[in-house]
Amino acid sequence: MLGKLLKYDLKYMIKNMSVFYILAIVFAIITRILLSVEQTIIATIIKNITTGCMYAMVANIIINTLMRSWVRFRDSIYKDEGYLTNTLPVTKNQIYNSKFIQALIFFIVSFVIVILSIAIAYLNKDRWELLKNYIKGITTGLEISSGLFISGFLGIVFLEMFNALQCGFFGIILGYKQNNNRVALSVLFGFIAYFASQSIVLALVFIVGLFNESVMGLFTNTVLLETGALKILFALSMIIYIIIIWIMSIICKKLLNKGVNLE
Amino acid sequence: MSKDNNNLLEVKNLKKSFDKKEVLKDVSFSIPNGKIIGLLGKNGAGKTTLIKLINDLLTPTSGEILVNGNKIGVESKKVISYLPERTYLNKQMKVTEVLNYFEDFYENFDKEKAEKLLKDLDLDITQKLSKMSKGMQEKVQLVLVMSRKADLYILDEPLGGVDPATRDYILDTILSNFNENASVIISTHLISDIERILDEVIFIDKGKIVLQSDCDQLRKKENGSIDEIFRRMFKC
Repeated sequence: MLGKLLKYDLKYMIKNMSVFYILAIVFAIITRILLSVEQTIIATIIKNITTGCMYAMVANIIINTLMRSWVRFRDSIYKDEGYLTNTLPVTKNQIYNSKFIQALIFFIVSFVIVILSIAIAYLNKDRWELLKNYIKGITTGLEISSGLFISGFLGIVFLEMFNALQCGFFGIILGYKQNNNRVALSVLFGFIAYFASQSIVLALVFIVGLFNESVMGLFTNTVLLETGALKILFALSMIIYIIIIWIMSIICKKLLNKGVNLE
Repeated sequence: MSKDNNNLLEVKNLKKSFDKKEVLKDVSFSIPNGKIIGLLGKNGAGKTTLIKLINDLLTPTSGEILVNGNKIGVESKKVISYLPERTYLNKQMKVTEVLNYFEDFYENFDKEKAEKLLKDLDLDITQKLSKMSKGMQEKVQLVLVMSRKADLYILDEPLGGVDPATRDYILDTILSNFNENASVIISTHLISDIERILDEVIFIDKGKIVLQSDCDQLRKKENGSIDEIFRRMFKC
């Protein structure tokens, strides 16, 4: 049943997101074309407009992926559509997992589209070399491979997004347990959960810092003294995020399993 | 869990409060197989709250609900076909997509029957729900609900906001589309319209069940139609 739920959740997102994906790619292609032609005044104006549109679409994709995932979660569980979702012969855990997996898939798709759009618009041999050298500069300093650096960086970005996503789900579940001011309380609970999760990450890094001078240096110094501290910070943050996301998903499912109260 | 006393639905000491307001007060009743039951009461009596609780759309404050001996959950949802009092389908979907959706999730959904009923109603199955009127959407929902081979059909105000001709069609659709062993609960305050099809009635008032009776016995005992008895009982 999870597969069937996921199928319809993905269909919903495809319907709502595909237009932004297409527009981002189209504006990126136009920008690329206009960058390669002679920069007359008109060409420059059009190029600036399409570049602005492309960046607007990129920002739109990032924000919309998160917002749409929250809206989908709320609408299909707590609004009119909830009359169907909550009466399907499926468990609450399956409903929750479907929404979460759908959001994860679209985070990855959206990320690929964003990178692809920027690459289409600007990437050439010189910029590619510049980017490689830039990353090499960082990875040499950190004494890690480029692959490890990129996967670590993407890992942190995605875990941060998943954490924000789940804090939103948590806020919606708690907010819609109340009888009044449900939207406002959802936002409030979501922010509290997000703030708490960030504080936990920071607090745990600080605790590790009590036993590791280089990590404590991140709190006490204005400049990076040891690159090893950054490596520990990355690894530690990822582990803490994974644990927080896992624990919060258990809490969300427990709360959801206690039942809903539809208007 | 075993089936309790051959009852399809058992509601035991059910209470529901919103903040400090008690909407359902210690409600207990049972429903056997093969009956059409009218859940009758004035507006705000607690009919929809009771129905939502049976369908897992509200969490009870206390009490128990059993369907075929099972607590409310996946198993109960397999055998209950529920028509809410509002349009609840994703309006971005076409009718054909909704049919596929029901076929995907409900093993007892008869897609061919649904297509036939929709055709009888002159509804275009290629049309998006957002392009349909509210009345048309309600008909689609009724068809979906009645095209399941369920044990218990729960219809919340199926006649609300529809013209008299359509009311007759809805009642005929209900009568001709459920199997003998299934039961139907119809919640309404339009009693005269549904009286002809009811086997039993449950009167609910201020969150309490005030009467549960066989329709024929009640008419004989009180010497009047169900509509008249209801009016006498709940006279303002």
